Amino acid sequence: MRPFADDTELTRRFTQGDISAFAELVRKYQDRIYNLCRYMLQDSDDARDAAQETFLKAHSKVKEFRADSAVYSWLYRIAVNTCLDYKKKTRPDQLEDESLLSDVASADPSPERLYQSKELSDILQTALQKLPEEMRAALVLRKIEELSYEEIAEVLHISVGTVKSRISRARDDLRRLLRGKF
Amino acid sequence: MKCSEVKELISRYVDDDLGPDEREAFTLHVRDCAGCRTELGEIQALDTLFASAERFTAPPGFATRVLAHLGEQQRSTFWSFLAFHRTLFRAAEFVLALVVFVIGVVSGNVLMTGRTSEKQTVLANVQTSFSLDLFQATPPGSVGGAYVSLVGAADER
Repeated sequence: MRPFADDTELTRRFTQGDISAFAELVRKYQDRIYNLCRYMLQDSDDARDAAQETFLKAHSKVKEFRADSAVYSWLYRIAVNTCLDYKKKTRPDQLEDESLLSDVASADPSPERLYQSKELSDILQTALQKLPEEMRAALVLRKIEELSYEEIAEVLHISVGTVKSRISRARDDLRRLLRGKF
Repeated sequence: MKCSEVKELISRYVDDDLGPDEREAFTLHVRDCAGCRTELGEIQALDTLFASAERFTAPPGFATRVLAHLGEQQRSTFWSFLAFHRTLFRAAEFVLALVVFVIGVVSGNVLMTGRTSEKQTVLANVQTSFSLDLFQATPPGSVGGAYVSLVGAADER
């Protein structure tokens, strides 16, 4: 799932204040941004709010957009920062989600059990929430959004070396959290 | 290559980010080390989990809601702009009124001060005009004046 590369014309119109270009950007990247927010925040309502806020911020900050960077990278950066700042609303079902890791282990320890894609996503999201946010962001951008190390470095405003380090540590922590659970 | 070095490289190995020499050394070590092989297997299983995990799509009507919120935001910004400038205008009106008042007070004072001086001058002139000192008893060109000058000269002798 690679981001679209040819946004030159769309970006030009967007930076000139063309509202139809902004609408086109929203339609083009809404799924990617929402997906990222979903894996960063887990809760669907929180993810929807954060994704919406991302696009509204992008519109208000259009003058800050640098022409030499890719618009999708810039959107991802706003989305990550929005998720990092986001105050999660406390909901009762979140407590159930947090115990999902142990429930999965106790419900059926048989390795023959096949998990559906949704269950796997739930397990993964719950485990991801236990990682430090910066590490979570690096890993999600790499393994869910499939960005390169260089693209992640641009999104997060860190060096490529730091990207590799965060991804390595995130994988290691996740491995320990999920050991024996699937 | 030691286990500690290999563990540092597992993530990059899985991402195919190792150079040829590093990759060869890594592979040789893992082939003979059960511990590192297990850890590598766990990381690779994680990758499989990521690959099969759900990719979410934005809820229906998401784009429409974003654009609707944008419209509300812009209207709210416009009214805030107007309200701010109305307040600014009111403040400017007040300041102007204050300035006019102060100018009025100062001008009034200046006028009053001027009239007082004028009054004093007139008064002084009137006093002078009606003063008996205006009437010299023995002007120099008169008989009395001559007498006074003679008397004054005798006294000196």
